[in-house]
Amino acid sequence: MSPSVSAISIQGLTKDFSVTLRGVKLRAVDALNLEVAEGQVYGLLGPNGSGKSTTIKIILGLLDATVGDVRVFGVPANRVEARRNVGYLPEAPYFYRYLSGRELVKFYARVCGVSGATLKARVDEVIDWVGLSGAADRRVGTYSKGMLQRIGLAQALVHDPKLIVLDEPTAGVDPVGSAEMCELIRKLKHQGKTVLITSHLLAQIEDVCDRVAILDRGKLIVEGSVLELVGQRDRQALIVDPLPEADLEALRGWLAARGHTLNAVEQPRARLDQLFLSKVSRPGRPGGASAGVGSNEVPLDAKP
Amino acid sequence: MRFDSAALRPFRTGAVVALGLFAAGVALRPLEAPAWQSIRAGQPALRLESLKDALGQGVTVGLLGGFRAIVADLFWIRTNTIWEGNDLPGTQTSIKLVTAIDPRPLYFWLNGSRMIAYDMPNWRIDKAGGYDAVPDAVKRRFDEEQSSVAIKYLENALEFHPGEPLLILEIANVHLNRLKDNETAAKLYLEASRHPDAPFYAARIHAELLRKLGRNAEAYAFLKQLHPTLPTNDIGAMPDVVLGRIRELEEEMGIPETQRFQPRHASAPVLPAAPPAP
Amino acid sequence: MSVASVPFSFSRLSLIAGNTFLEAVRQKLFNFLLLLAVGLVASAQFFREFNFGSSELKFISDFGFGALIFFGSALTIATTAQLFFSEIENRTALTLLAKPLWRAEFVFGKFLGVFAVIGVFCALTIGLMMALLWHREGQLMDIRPEDFANGRLIAYGDLVVVGVLQWLKFGVLAAIVLLIASFSNTNLFTVVTGFFVLVICHLQYLARDAWGNVDNPLVGLVVRVLGFVFPNFQLFNLADQIGQGAGVSPIVALQVAGYAVAYIGVIGGLAVYSFRNREI
Repeated sequence: MSPSVSAISIQGLTKDFSVTLRGVKLRAVDALNLEVAEGQVYGLLGPNGSGKSTTIKIILGLLDATVGDVRVFGVPANRVEARRNVGYLPEAPYFYRYLSGRELVKFYARVCGVSGATLKARVDEVIDWVGLSGAADRRVGTYSKGMLQRIGLAQALVHDPKLIVLDEPTAGVDPVGSAEMCELIRKLKHQGKTVLITSHLLAQIEDVCDRVAILDRGKLIVEGSVLELVGQRDRQALIVDPLPEADLEALRGWLAARGHTLNAVEQPRARLDQLFLSKVSRPGRPGGASAGVGSNEVPLDAKP
Repeated sequence: MRFDSAALRPFRTGAVVALGLFAAGVALRPLEAPAWQSIRAGQPALRLESLKDALGQGVTVGLLGGFRAIVADLFWIRTNTIWEGNDLPGTQTSIKLVTAIDPRPLYFWLNGSRMIAYDMPNWRIDKAGGYDAVPDAVKRRFDEEQSSVAIKYLENALEFHPGEPLLILEIANVHLNRLKDNETAAKLYLEASRHPDAPFYAARIHAELLRKLGRNAEAYAFLKQLHPTLPTNDIGAMPDVVLGRIRELEEEMGIPETQRFQPRHASAPVLPAAPPAP
Repeated sequence: MSVASVPFSFSRLSLIAGNTFLEAVRQKLFNFLLLLAVGLVASAQFFREFNFGSSELKFISDFGFGALIFFGSALTIATTAQLFFSEIENRTALTLLAKPLWRAEFVFGKFLGVFAVIGVFCALTIGLMMALLWHREGQLMDIRPEDFANGRLIAYGDLVVVGVLQWLKFGVLAAIVLLIASFSNTNLFTVVTGFFVLVICHLQYLARDAWGNVDNPLVGLVVRVLGFVFPNFQLFNLADQIGQGAGVSPIVALQVAGYAVAYIGVIGGLAVYSFRNREI
């Protein structure tokens, strides 16, 4: 595969759902153009009904495009071959309740052609990777929502795909579970995987995405890197120990002498989810002891 | 008027599916037709007009849909329940309904006719005051009337099972046991005995009836003709019994020893082993 | 760009089938209908009350096949629709079809899973019926040896043949239900339509009988077309013949089996075509 090929390439995608015979249509996606480069974590954002899930379904070949060209690693998305390198975690996944977590992942692995000696090793590896080794032999029907998300991620990863599509991966999951999911996504990025995430929980996406696209009523409104979109390049924030009023005045003077203005003096606040995570501990978190929580404490400007 | 092609997709799919099914039906007809012909031959036509009112729409659809045997079985069980209550019109109607639903099992015809010919006269006598109170002429009339219904019913059965020896035997039994008509019974036993699947006793009874009618020579000739045809390895054939009857007739008719019947079976005794039975 | 193709895989198909089978046998409906069928067959003990003689065996056979046909049809329609829609409604179909899996593998995998479930149902019902018949026939042979002068009356091999043909008929029915489910939006619609089609397939021979007598040429044409569009399920109605003591001709049995297998292939193929056009 040529390195110049995008993981996902969407050109002029329009998707209409017919409502009546006379041609009254519901346009779910309208002339969408997107390129997702290999190795990126890409966020597809938008309110409910904005066309995120429809776009994902077209990428996965579950729906046909009305107009336009959608390719996955250069292969038309409606071909079975295009899905060879794709792992998919649907929104609020539901799996065969009567299977154990291990049986479920094994089933999907075999569907993806993983067999022989590698099957068991690969199944154990992904189950361990998502932190479900202790619950792998329990029936899926007994899993919590967060565990379902993790076993869902395991089945999406079991055939070692290059592109992972996550549809609302943190919806309905508690903050601890969400943090764990975000941490897993970061680890996927470090492994060189391309990740496409849809979400309407913007704060969570913001923490893990390299680039985002915002859709509204099927149209692309904004697209770019997170830093470009939300970073204020003409401003900087300094976080210091509490300063007495006199020192603050001195600082203002110092800045004024150099042609700068102190625009705001505020008490920094931790985000509520960070507070929650610092108070609620959960042993055996995936990917290491406390990596999930700690990572949220990285300052904004330290992001890649 | 413009139609949206995407909106028409389900209709296109439906049309392709319908066409595919039609084409499959046409292509598979040569495979289906001979099998269907054979299976159809084993399924007598239903006379729906007479059944609809008695059964209702739901059961009628069940009958047409292939549950004919089980519906008939259920109605036969119901017939037995009505029969236990000595309800003559109810039992008679129910018997006829069962065979209208499924005329194939001989069991229904044979047992239905027995209920009509043998049980129902007794019910009528009971209803009329009992055996002691009812005059013999009336008893005789009841027997004749019920026998007539039973014979008609069995003749109807022969339309579905042409030449069936068990049905002919059953008619013969009614003539013999209820109507005391030995002449007709003898003819019918003979007719039944000519069928390859007939039980061996049909021929023996025919000969006995000829004797009762005083036609010993005819009976003797018949049994002499019959004996060589009887297998020795079938317990029902009873060639020894037939030979015994031949000997009895030879005694009665005074046939000289030299002219007596000589059986071909090695196991059969040449001369009667015992004095003739009464 | 050239990409290695993903060929149709019987291994994937059997995985879907195995999973479908596992899901089905763990459903209450399967166990419930199986119990009902077994109960009905076992209730043949009741016939002893009537002193039917050797004809009691006909009653046992009729009730056994009646249970098989009735509950088997219900099980086929309900299970096929339920197993298909559980995948759609629970979105497990999304997860599966987002894998390198052909829709044909999905549809035929579902079919084979259901077919295996019905096979288990048929085998258990027929097996129980045969055991009952064998046991009762042995008792009757002692009680009324004159009825059994030529040995056993029941042709047990024919019972197996008829059981297999019924299984194949349920296979055709399962394929029909999958075809309906491939475009239907709800489980209820699929089940109701499946029952309607079952009745039509059982009664289509009446339309074929009637078409020659229809005066209106248009109505005649419609009736004739219907006779071709729907498979003839009366063709599988050989159980009655067994009850009458008539045997099953091997040629007829083979023709009927061939007819069923061909229809399963055609209707299954149409279900795949319809499902490929479905937007999930």
